[in-house]
Amino acid sequence: MNRPSEASMPRYTINCRMTHEAAALERLCQVVRIRGFRVARMAVEGAGEHLDIALTLEGSRPIAMLQSQLEKLHTVANVAVQETISDLARNSA
Amino acid sequence: MNGAQHILDAFHRHNIGTVFGYPGGCIMPLYDALVDDVGVEHVLCRHEQACALAADGYARASGKLGVCIATSGPGATNLITGVANAHRDSIPMLVITGQVASGMIGTDAFQETDVLGMTLGIVKHSYLVDDASELPAIMEEAMTLAESGRPGPVWIDIPKDILLTEVAAPAPAEAQPEESRTPDISEALAMLREAKRPLLYSGGGVSLANAEDSFRAFAETSVLPGVVTLKGIGNAGKHNPNNLGMLGMHGSRAANKAVDECDLLFVVGARLDDRATGKLDGFAPNARTVHIDADAAEINKLRAADIALRGDLNDILAAFTRELEAQPLAIDDWRKQCRTWRTTGGFQAADNEEPLAPITGPAFIRQLSRITANDTVIACDVGQHQMWVAQHYQFDHPRHHLTSGGLGTMGYGLPAAIGAQFAKPDSTVINVTGDGSFMMNAQELATIRRYNLPLKLIILDNQCLGMVRQQQELFYNNRESHINLDDNPDFVAMARAFDIPSLHIERTDQIRRGIETILAFNGPMLLHVAISREENVWPIVKPGASNKEMIDEPKRTSTANKEHVA
Repeated sequence: MNRPSEASMPRYTINCRMTHEAAALERLCQVVRIRGFRVARMAVEGAGEHLDIALTLEGSRPIAMLQSQLEKLHTVANVAVQETISDLARNSA
Repeated sequence: MNGAQHILDAFHRHNIGTVFGYPGGCIMPLYDALVDDVGVEHVLCRHEQACALAADGYARASGKLGVCIATSGPGATNLITGVANAHRDSIPMLVITGQVASGMIGTDAFQETDVLGMTLGIVKHSYLVDDASELPAIMEEAMTLAESGRPGPVWIDIPKDILLTEVAAPAPAEAQPEESRTPDISEALAMLREAKRPLLYSGGGVSLANAEDSFRAFAETSVLPGVVTLKGIGNAGKHNPNNLGMLGMHGSRAANKAVDECDLLFVVGARLDDRATGKLDGFAPNARTVHIDADAAEINKLRAADIALRGDLNDILAAFTRELEAQPLAIDDWRKQCRTWRTTGGFQAADNEEPLAPITGPAFIRQLSRITANDTVIACDVGQHQMWVAQHYQFDHPRHHLTSGGLGTMGYGLPAAIGAQFAKPDSTVINVTGDGSFMMNAQELATIRRYNLPLKLIILDNQCLGMVRQQQELFYNNRESHINLDDNPDFVAMARAFDIPSLHIERTDQIRRGIETILAFNGPMLLHVAISREENVWPIVKPGASNKEMIDEPKRTSTANKEHVA
């Protein structure tokens, strides 16, 4: 299977708040995977009845498409695409 | 009341009178409660997959919530294909499964599977109930979710101990006023008025939104030429002269030509899927797009919309209709052109006038369409016969055409027809199937017999997996691989073994008599129709190719198709 190399793939950071219930993280990760993104980093913090999740993702598809799919999940309260790290910025880092 | 009794109580409160299920160990408390409950009709299918597909057919035919029930482990896994089918076609469904007792979860107990985990990708939402006190709220939420917005299946997995635990009577539900805001249509209206060659492109979202009447009013007022997706068949009604029929892989030349030539695609309740669009780069290359849908995630998913209107299709279409009543569109030349294409590039199938000639699928379906009543429900399976129905049967309403569009589930038709017959007991319901599909849920003949459903079953038998054979012929150098079914059982004898009368036909002059006989029979009846193994579905677009590259059968291309503009 041809896959863009890691260096060429756009990278995004998404912050997501969702209800802390059974399979919440699995549900999130399943959508991320099937919609064409790879998790590069993941941080999860419990906040009462919620989970706050910060995801660094790589993928060549439009991030807005993933955002709209995540927002459809019943347990997701909000999704924010925080930043886009360009190839140039990564290469020069 | 315990958890099981509460579930039945919730069914009563939500007017759910029919459910489809199969009992087993962990769901036994619910079946025990059913013994004392005469208000819910439980339909016992012979396989859990059929329970889910019957619930799907019930929901499609009625517009109501479909409900299916199974036990843990294999009961739940057998449901999966049916639930995935509902998910792909956005069918409102409530799925209830028993699970091993709470304390046993994660111990590899008998008939334990991680149902919640394995079904995440095929549900709108799902729950594993871990506290009996939460069951009432979960039931309410699940039923609302399944039917709201873009509908879909919602699955509740309930450990056996929770089904047996006392739960508090539910608090009366507070009606939440629905927020409804019709988006501003002015820009889209201006774009529609500017267009010289606008085309209405509608899909299954119309009936999912219960917007059939609003759509019909809009189509008739705008007088827009229109094309439909597989799931949108029936949207325009059978007498709309501007309906060019289905587009896409097996669409009409007229529909695909109009899409290619239009300068505005007015998309209503469709997701622009690959079977409809073909290669996206070549799809409607000269058109701007107005996309109207209930689901924000469908907007811009595959094709960028110039204007997107998200909301209730009834409200949005009614707003357009009002504007167009006041000032109609001026597109007479385009409309005439499309009508010409409809005449010359519609689905062509000659009625074979030679009485002793073998029966062809298209000729049979055209006869069926002429003979049956307007409100007949046709439940298809998947394959060539499905496309012949889509091409040649004239549907007057989208809920009369039950077809597995997204998942393409062989074995769908028979259980879906059972569900539809329960939803529409006074309507004629016909399962049109192929010999491959029929064998995938043939055990449901027993369900038909048990409930004495007056279903009509029509098997178009070409003794092979016709659609696969066709693609092997056309795209794999005619290298046939594992498509031969010439060792099929004797379907007539098989039906009779279930005490279902049956009839075999094989000649053109037997078509009308055969159809009329099964329709007139007071009870279930099967018509076995032998058709040619070599018959193909025409036209066809090679998977991945542009719709412009439609292929017609070389030797039997009709005169009309030959004359059709290139």
